[in-house]
Amino acid sequence: MRPHCSAKLLSYSKHLAVLAGLALSLLSGHHAEGIAPVQQGMLTPQEQRGKQIYVRGTSASGQAILAYLGEESLEVDGSVMACANCHGLDGQGKPEGGVTPSNITWEALTKPYGVMHPNGRKHSAYTERALELALTRGLDPDGNKLLNVMPRYQMSRADTADLIAYLKRLGTDRDPGITENSIKIGTVVPTKGALADMGQAVKAVISAYFDELNSQGGIYHRRLELKVAETGETPASTRANVERLLQDEQVFALTGAITAGADQELFTLAAEHAVPLVGPLTLYPSPGAPLNRQVFYLLSGLDGQARVLVNFAAQKSPANKTGVAVVYPATESARSVADAIKDQYRKDGWGAPETYEYAPADYDAAAIARKLSQTGRAAIFFLGSGAEALALLREAEKLHWSPEVYLPGAITGQEILTAPVSFDHKIFLSFPTSPAAQTQQGLKDFRALAEKHQLPAHHLAAQLSAYAAAQVLVEGLKRGGRDLSREKLIAALEGLYEFESGVTPALTYNPNRRIGALGAYIVSLDLNKKQFVPVSGWLDVN
Amino acid sequence: MRTKLLVTLWLVMTLICAVAPVNRSHVVSAQTRPKAQQKSTRYACPMHPEITSSRPGKCSKCGMTLRAVSDEPATTSNNNPAGATAPEAAEDSISLHIPDTPVYDQNGKRLNFYTDLVKGRTVAINFIFTTCTTICPPLTATFRRVQVELGARVGRDVQLISVSVDPTTDVPERLQAFATKFKAAPGWTFVTGEKTEIDALLKALGTAVADKNDHTPMILVGNDTAGYWTRTYGLAPPSALVRVISEVADHK
Repeated sequence: MRPHCSAKLLSYSKHLAVLAGLALSLLSGHHAEGIAPVQQGMLTPQEQRGKQIYVRGTSASGQAILAYLGEESLEVDGSVMACANCHGLDGQGKPEGGVTPSNITWEALTKPYGVMHPNGRKHSAYTERALELALTRGLDPDGNKLLNVMPRYQMSRADTADLIAYLKRLGTDRDPGITENSIKIGTVVPTKGALADMGQAVKAVISAYFDELNSQGGIYHRRLELKVAETGETPASTRANVERLLQDEQVFALTGAITAGADQELFTLAAEHAVPLVGPLTLYPSPGAPLNRQVFYLLSGLDGQARVLVNFAAQKSPANKTGVAVVYPATESARSVADAIKDQYRKDGWGAPETYEYAPADYDAAAIARKLSQTGRAAIFFLGSGAEALALLREAEKLHWSPEVYLPGAITGQEILTAPVSFDHKIFLSFPTSPAAQTQQGLKDFRALAEKHQLPAHHLAAQLSAYAAAQVLVEGLKRGGRDLSREKLIAALEGLYEFESGVTPALTYNPNRRIGALGAYIVSLDLNKKQFVPVSGWLDVN
Repeated sequence: MRTKLLVTLWLVMTLICAVAPVNRSHVVSAQTRPKAQQKSTRYACPMHPEITSSRPGKCSKCGMTLRAVSDEPATTSNNNPAGATAPEAAEDSISLHIPDTPVYDQNGKRLNFYTDLVKGRTVAINFIFTTCTTICPPLTATFRRVQVELGARVGRDVQLISVSVDPTTDVPERLQAFATKFKAAPGWTFVTGEKTEIDALLKALGTAVADKNDHTPMILVGNDTAGYWTRTYGLAPPSALVRVISEVADHK
C-alpha cells in the first residue's frame, strides 16, 4: 500500500510540473533547415489547383465558381456542390438516396469502348473537350443529358483547365506523406530554452514507438518516419516552421506536438492544410463549434475539468448548487473557463454562480477575501495562478473563513501544498488523467519501450501523453487500411470507442467529439501530511 | 434512360404513400387529389431562357426583366417523366398521424413537433443529414429557392421543415451551420433530437430507413387545417414544388 501511495504522489507532482511547464510561454527556437526533396507522384501546381476545385468547389484564383442545378438553373455556390461531394475523393461515386454518381476517374471515362450506365445511358469515351462540355453544359460525349442532380458549372477557362488536369490524376493521387513503403508523420517540439528537455523527451518516445512498430513490419508494410519541426520564438514563427515542415517534408499527419503557446495558430494551420493533428499536448483544446475536424485531443482542457469540478461540488454538498463564487483573472483563457463553469451550472439547472473578475496587475487578495467572506459563499472556484490562490487562502484564514476551494489542477503548482491547514481536505484539484488511469499492461509496455530505447527519465507525464497520442494515431492508421487517406484516418479516429492506451483514461471520439477522455479525476489535499489524496474515480463530464 | 430511373423512383414514392392511420385528433384521412395545374404563367429571361421563375422579376445573370412565357404541360414531353417535372403527380392524399415528438431546432430550442411546427399550418418537410453530400445539398438548395419564391408566406401560413435522419451526429450546432450555409431564413426549421424519438417520428412520417444513406429525396407536403397530405419528389424544379405547396395550402 505504501509504495503504491508514494508512486501516486510522485506522479501527481510530475503532472503538476509538466502542466505548469506547458503553461509557460515558449522562449526560443531556430528555424528548421529547409530541405525540399522532390516527391514522386506529387501533383503539379496546376493539378493542385484543380484538386482544390474538385474537393472544395473553390478556385485558388479567387474567381467565382457557380453551379446551376436542374431545369430551372437553380444557382448555388460551387462550394456547396463540389465534385467530391458526390463523386468522392477517389472519383468512384457515392450512391445515396437512389442517386448513383458516375465513376469519373480518367480510366473509367476514357474506356475505348465507352461507358454503359446502370440506367441504360450509353456514351463513347470522353476527351478533354467532351469533359468540358459535360461540366459546363451537362451533356455526355454522345449528347445525352447527364443525371439531373449533376449541376452545370460556370468557371473561368483557366479553372476548367486546372480541374481537367486534376481529373486525369483523380483516383491515382495519394495524400501527401504516403508512399508504397512509408508514411511520414510530423511533430512539433521546443529544442531550445526551458522546455528543450521536454521536447527532446517527447521526440524520443515517439521515435522509439515508431521504431518498435517498424521492426514489426510497420503499418501494412509502410514504415513510419518521424519528421520534427521546432517551436519558434513566437506563435507566428512556430506556425511558419510547421508550415515549412508540411511543405518540405510532405507529412501525412502530426502527432504528440507540443502546441502550447501557439495552440490557435497550429489548430488553424491543421484545418487549413487538412492535416490531421492527433494528440497535441495542450491545456487549451478548442473542441467546440465550429468543429475543427482535423484536431483530435487526448485529454480535457481546463474548461472540461472545471465542468467536472462543478458536478463534483454539487454532488458533495447541496449548498454548492446555489451559493458558489467564481474568481478569475481578466484574461481570455480564464474567462472561457469561467464561462464553462457558468454554462455547466445552467445545464445542470442550478443557481447561477456569483462571478468575481480581477485584473491580475492589481490583485488584492485581502479585498477579495473580505468581499467573498461577507456573502458567505460555501465554495469558490479559483482560476488564477497558484500564488494568487495561496494568497487568497491566507487572507481567508485571517478572517476565519474557510470555504471549499475548487481549482483546475494545471493552474496551480506544488506551492498549493503549503496552504493554511484550515483548508485541510477542503481544496479540490482536477486532473485530466491520473496514475489510476494507467493499466498494468500499459505501464509494462511503456517501461519495456523506455528501457530498450533508453528514453530519458525526466518529463514522464509529457512522454506518456506523447506515447498515448502516437498510439491513437497508429490505431487510426491501422483502421484506415492500406488504401489510406487523411479523410480515412479522420473517419477511423471518429470511430474509436473507449480505446485503451494503457497510460490515459479510455479514449472515445465521434463526429462531434474531439476530446478522447472527456472528464477528470478529483484530488484533495491533506495539508498536514502535505499529500495529494484522490477523492474520486474517473468522472465523465456528462 | 434517365426516364426509366426517374419513373421507377416516382413509382417507389407513390407506393410508399400507404401509411396506416392512427386514432388521434390530428389524424387525417385520404381525400381527393388536388387539381394538378396543367398550365401556369412562368417568367423567363429573354437572353437566358434557362433562367425562369414563377413570378415576375429580374434575371439572375443579366438583370433583364423576366418576360411571361407559357409553360408546357409537363406530361406532354417524352423526355420528362412525371416524377421529374410534375411533382403534383403524387397520387392520392395520404393518411398520416403527425406525432408531437419532442425535438430540438437549429438553435437548440426544445419544440414539440406537431404543436409547434405543424398545427394549423401548411408544411413542407424534407429529410436530410448534414454529412450527406450527394443529394442533401441539391435538396436543401431547392428548399431555399422555394423559400425565396414563397416569400412572406413562409413563417406566416407556410412552414418549411428539414428533419435530420442522423440525429446522433446532427446536434443543433451542426444544423445551425448547415442552415447558414444554405442561407435558410426564419420560417424554415431544422429538426433533430433523441435518436429513438426521431426514429419514431420518421416512421410515423413514412420515411424510416435502416441506413441513412438510403433516405429518399422525398418531400412531405401537408395542410394541417384541411387535413390534407401528399408526397412529392424533392429534386424537382423549385417552381414545381412551389406549385404543390400553394395547392396544398389552398386545399379546402
